[in-house]
Amino acid sequence: MSSAPATLVGTPSARRTPSRRRSAIGWTAARTAAVAIGALFLMAPFVIMVTTSFEPNTALLPNPPHFLPQNPTIANYVDAWTGSDFAQYFVNSAYVSVLTTLAAVAISAMTAFAFARFDFPGKNVVYAVLLAGLMIPGIVIIVPQFILAKSLGMLDSLNGLVFFYTAGQIAFTTFMLRAFFERVPTELDEAMTVDGAGTWRKFVRLYLPLARPALATAAVFAFLGAWDEYVWALTVISDASKRTLPLGIAAFQGEHSTAWGLVFAASTIAVIPVVAVYIAGQRHLIAGITAGAVK
Amino acid sequence: MKRSLVLPTIALAALTGLAACGVGAGSSQSAPSGNELSPSASVSGEITFWHAYSAGGGEINALEKTIIPNFEKLHPGVKVHDVQVPSSDMHQKLITATAGGALPDVVRADIVTVPELAKLGVLAPLSDVMPDFQSWAAKMFPGPLATNKYKDKYWGLPLDTNTRVVIYNQDALTSQGVSQVPKSLDDLKAAASKVGGGKFIFAEGGSGAWNLLPFIWSNGGEMTDPSVSKATGYLNSPQTVDAIQMLVDMYRAKQIPGNILGGSGDTPTSDGLAKGLYDTIVDGPWTFPGLTASYPSFKPATEPMFSGSAGSISVVGGEDIVMTQQSKNKALAAEFVRYMLSPDAQQAMGKVGQLSAEPALAADMASYAPYYAPYLEQLKTARPRPATPQWAKVDDIFTKQVQLAFQGKVTVQQALDSAASQIDPLLAQG
Amino acid sequence: MSTEAPFRARTEHVPAPSRPSKPRRGGSSRRPAHWWIPWAFAAPGLAFFALTTGYPLVRSLQISFYQWSVLPGTDSPFVGFDNYVRALGDPQFWTSVVNAGAYLLMTVPATIAVSLVFAVLLHRPMPARTLFRVLYYIPVVTSWVVVSLLFKYLFSSDNGAVNWFLQDVLHAVSEPVPWLEQRWTALAAVSMLGIWKNLGWCIVVFLAALGGVQQDLYEAAALDGANAWAKFANVTFPGIRGTVIFVAIVQIIGAFNVFPSILLMTNGGPAGSTEVPLTYMYKQAFSFLDFGFASAMSFVMAIIISAVSYLQYRITREKKEARR
Repeated sequence: MSSAPATLVGTPSARRTPSRRRSAIGWTAARTAAVAIGALFLMAPFVIMVTTSFEPNTALLPNPPHFLPQNPTIANYVDAWTGSDFAQYFVNSAYVSVLTTLAAVAISAMTAFAFARFDFPGKNVVYAVLLAGLMIPGIVIIVPQFILAKSLGMLDSLNGLVFFYTAGQIAFTTFMLRAFFERVPTELDEAMTVDGAGTWRKFVRLYLPLARPALATAAVFAFLGAWDEYVWALTVISDASKRTLPLGIAAFQGEHSTAWGLVFAASTIAVIPVVAVYIAGQRHLIAGITAGAVK
Repeated sequence: MKRSLVLPTIALAALTGLAACGVGAGSSQSAPSGNELSPSASVSGEITFWHAYSAGGGEINALEKTIIPNFEKLHPGVKVHDVQVPSSDMHQKLITATAGGALPDVVRADIVTVPELAKLGVLAPLSDVMPDFQSWAAKMFPGPLATNKYKDKYWGLPLDTNTRVVIYNQDALTSQGVSQVPKSLDDLKAAASKVGGGKFIFAEGGSGAWNLLPFIWSNGGEMTDPSVSKATGYLNSPQTVDAIQMLVDMYRAKQIPGNILGGSGDTPTSDGLAKGLYDTIVDGPWTFPGLTASYPSFKPATEPMFSGSAGSISVVGGEDIVMTQQSKNKALAAEFVRYMLSPDAQQAMGKVGQLSAEPALAADMASYAPYYAPYLEQLKTARPRPATPQWAKVDDIFTKQVQLAFQGKVTVQQALDSAASQIDPLLAQG
Repeated sequence: MSTEAPFRARTEHVPAPSRPSKPRRGGSSRRPAHWWIPWAFAAPGLAFFALTTGYPLVRSLQISFYQWSVLPGTDSPFVGFDNYVRALGDPQFWTSVVNAGAYLLMTVPATIAVSLVFAVLLHRPMPARTLFRVLYYIPVVTSWVVVSLLFKYLFSSDNGAVNWFLQDVLHAVSEPVPWLEQRWTALAAVSMLGIWKNLGWCIVVFLAALGGVQQDLYEAAALDGANAWAKFANVTFPGIRGTVIFVAIVQIIGAFNVFPSILLMTNGGPAGSTEVPLTYMYKQAFSFLDFGFASAMSFVMAIIISAVSYLQYRITREKKEARR
């Protein structure tokens, strides 16, 4: 899926002499080998997690961990899925994460556009306050936030989660998108002004398309952030039917012993959608590259 | 039974205090609410119950499929919403809910947090509001009951209890030339020198009060005075220092693995026990289901806590059931508390690993699982950790100072002197 | 795709800028046609932020001047700057700041350097590139609980893989290193986890940025006979400098806020020697109910983080100016 458009991007091969092409092949092989070795290191803990999830459920984690399952079984997956309302948690998480991603990226893109594109009085002060929001750890403001959520009637509510997750992503996503919007060439902007385009039109027709790789990246992170969030969900969600996946997984961790097989199976299931979203985002990353190459 | 003579003074004090407030309970100040919450009152409506029962071990099933449905059948029209919170996060959720006025009606709270919640003002004093409180209190083991006391009132009742006993691997001991499991602290010290080569006579998973108090108490040491108002003279007494010194010496001689510093990543104690890496550990009843599942061929054996000059004294764990001041339906909450302590509910929980704190149910408990018996025996002398609202800080100071001693940065005496002087002002705040 | 077609047609006649363009400061195009236009764009985001983060931040600042009582309606005495004085004079707080600083130095430069290398490698076409990109993202999405636990086992002193490698394979040490039982080795172990977990994140951001570097610049450099390093130094790096600054600042903030790995691997021990600001604040707030003190510490930390981020920003910016 990625290889077709990707080939458009590379250095045009027509200019290469045969000897340069041969060295290019050697270079690609070396690169691939380096990347493969790095991937092995990065994958190891994940492989252990998946392996253990296919072993008979144990209260104690195997030490040293196994790279290949012993007595493989899918019992943990069956138990994790059927033992609790896991399907419900999954749906809840998907609902919250998709809405959060859409809202956070749309709202942050507009905010980032304002900061990247315009000079206006008070800009730097407001931006500094926004950045300060990134530096104060969430755990410190969780009590005032909880009181606020209660007065807004957002306890035990999935839409309440969406509201706070979206708000929580804005500072970061704005920070990230601003850097990308600032790289849009001024000449392109001016050319559209000459053509009589208004600000909104420029935002939609010029800035958003050019920032597609950045928007895709922001969406991937926003989704992951909402999908993985635990502490806020724990604090505001009590009703079991409103639980998200991280709450469901944490429930397998007992006070004195943890059913690691279940935790690992549930964690493995939980990884799948985030990876799917990332793969979907890949297409846009590549599309962004080709769009840039046209210039 | 010589051991019963060392019944902790704290528990005696608790019983005396209990009698005192039992008299005051139904009379003057709380008479109206007392009537409201009497067992005969009719109940209706809904309540919410927060707990940290684990999903893996069948506890949730017992609660949601047996206990709550039976309670709702007993009182048609009522509804109990139960909320499971992971135990490590329960305190955070409780505190945040306190600030937001969003507490549930009934909570299953770790025994060490009850005085703190009582001081905070979030709990209803059961000894005042339940006219039949005394009859429930009289059914309980004194140690677990004492964990509910703060300022001469009782703020909860023991819902379940546990303690720690010696669990050992006979094959591992035999293979290392230790024919008999160490029964006393002296035996342990003597056997330690025989074991080596990457094997350890004993392993402990941390250095908090929960981990080390059995050694301190059995050796005749104390953490505080009986009224929990002073640590100096108790926490740094020769007996306390001796007990810690023995463990520090063993750690520094590599006779105890690094787990005792907490979070070392060494083989977990129960894992190492089953694998023959560690000969003995001191742990709770929850160890057994885990061992059976992971090491079906391993046969763990038990002994009472290693005895010292004061006997074999272990530490009481478990949970209390408490009612919040914010509860809008205290009548139903009280009725639910009664039901949770009834034989029906206690037996259902006993079958899935929750030991009842009621001696009358001891025989039932022992019949559910053979490994309960040594714990029921140990509970006769086991003591609760000092009941103080400042417990989290007290334990933190103790743990930190003891770890400095384990690391050899200070002597045990220095560590405990320093801990005692830091803990005194906290206890003075009450 | 359909949204791009008119845009392309319209911009064909625009000459491509020779350098990755930098917006002109103060140019006419940066002045809005109406004063309210930027505010209208920023309004939804700022409103959300002000309500859910700004207001709690102000409340938290207020709490930092009180001996704050958690239960509403009970007495919370005003204590002025007492909580700040306590924080500044608390050796455990400074230990935690130093630990976070050490963690920052051990993780951030290494993470950025390594991720930049892999991002460049992964950017150009290669066999199974999408698969590799997914694999590099896997650590980012694997739960902290699971990976902290596994790293704890890797670094365990009795039969951890790291000690096995050092002792039995490399023969670099004669007896097992008690990694998590001493301060600096424990911080090193946690840092390894930090690098491992954050690499994928940085790579994703860098890949997005690399997509924006104009290809004609590489071609021009290739015609000039530039080697791979020269291309990186003269084309790639200047093209993504803004993103490098962004990643560095996010990583610095993240390093000062390191939390789950410490909590799960050492829990701040032994004897508080691996405590970091967040584990310490969390303990003060939710174990000891000292919210005023925890809030005061968080504002002191915010000042420290701002200073370090600003310093880092200045250094990166000055380098750029020096190169011109």
